[in-house]
Amino acid sequence: MEIVDRAVHDEDCQHAQEEALAALVDQYAGALYRVAFSVLRNPTDAEDAVQEAFLRVLRHRDTLGEIRDHRVWLIRIVWNIVLDRKRRTKTRPETDDVSELTRVLPATGLSAEQRAAAAQYHAHVLKCVDKLPAREREVMILSAFEELSSVEIAAVLGVTESSVRSRLFRARNLMAELLDHRRSIK
Amino acid sequence: MNPSKEDDSYRVPGAEGAEATLRLIATVPVPQGLEDRVKAGLQAAPQTGRVLHWPSMPLSGGRWMRSTAARAAAAAAIVFVVAGGGWGVYSRVQPAQSPKVIAMPQRVNTPGGFSNAGAMRTPQTLNGPVLAHPVEETPKLNDGDVKVVPMPKKSQGEKTTARKKAPAKADPR
Repeated sequence: MEIVDRAVHDEDCQHAQEEALAALVDQYAGALYRVAFSVLRNPTDAEDAVQEAFLRVLRHRDTLGEIRDHRVWLIRIVWNIVLDRKRRTKTRPETDDVSELTRVLPATGLSAEQRAAAAQYHAHVLKCVDKLPAREREVMILSAFEELSSVEIAAVLGVTESSVRSRLFRARNLMAELLDHRRSIK
Repeated sequence: MNPSKEDDSYRVPGAEGAEATLRLIATVPVPQGLEDRVKAGLQAAPQTGRVLHWPSMPLSGGRWMRSTAARAAAAAAIVFVVAGGGWGVYSRVQPAQSPKVIAMPQRVNTPGGFSNAGAMRTPQTLNGPVLAHPVEETPKLNDGDVKVVPMPKKSQGEKTTARKKAPAKADPR
């Protein structure tokens, strides 16, 4: 009798966990995709990263109740996944950022020519971003997300809020230098 | 608030373009059906990592070893048996002590016999034949016939000098 009770209890627990996980997917899959895309800049890779992040959550679903902020926790998971993937694909030839951006970025009210020029500019900026030191680059990418506060960025990166601010300041200075340098060469 | 918005003192002229691009990237449209694909992937994933629950013993209506005292007694018995067994083995098996004194067999030098030449063990020899009739003693020599002069022991130096002197006695001069 007790075994049956326990089995029913386990089944209920499992069902509840599955529901909670599905709710997390509905709520945060989009945000996670955007975070993954900002680093990988490839829709397929970004989707794979999101999938992997939720698979990790599935493996640790028993601890879901202990998590205070699911959003930051999930972003941290996907952030670590994309950084790992980026590190592994460094040896692979770089994807063509311009064509990828032309395909992905919204192009409302732009002619084909303007769209291509905008994509080219964005690709150039992203190349400059890639030249930043890793710490500064990571803070700069995450700070572009409106929904992430500096406290949350600090939680994702595992650093203090003050170091997030100082890194962001350095990143901006370096970016200005890089873009200005490019402009002066042209 | 977001650090890119909250503090204008951190703004750097010239970097706005980069931030605008990154914001654009951060707002890319999510592909349609992403959530469904993720859910399908989760359902297809193997259900691993479940901890098995040990079922309670069905003996006596599931009330087996329910009381704390019985559990404590059982645990104590197990500990006692394990510890006793360990002590039994420990007390029997003791490390061999290295002997401080090595007993050596005594060498018996029998006078007039053969020496054992320093051998540790000598085989027992058979007793010789026993004569039925005692051998007649040889007659004693008279003192005047032969005079046995006991040879004094000489040291090594004296021996050499004696050998050297011997030819001098033979010299006719």
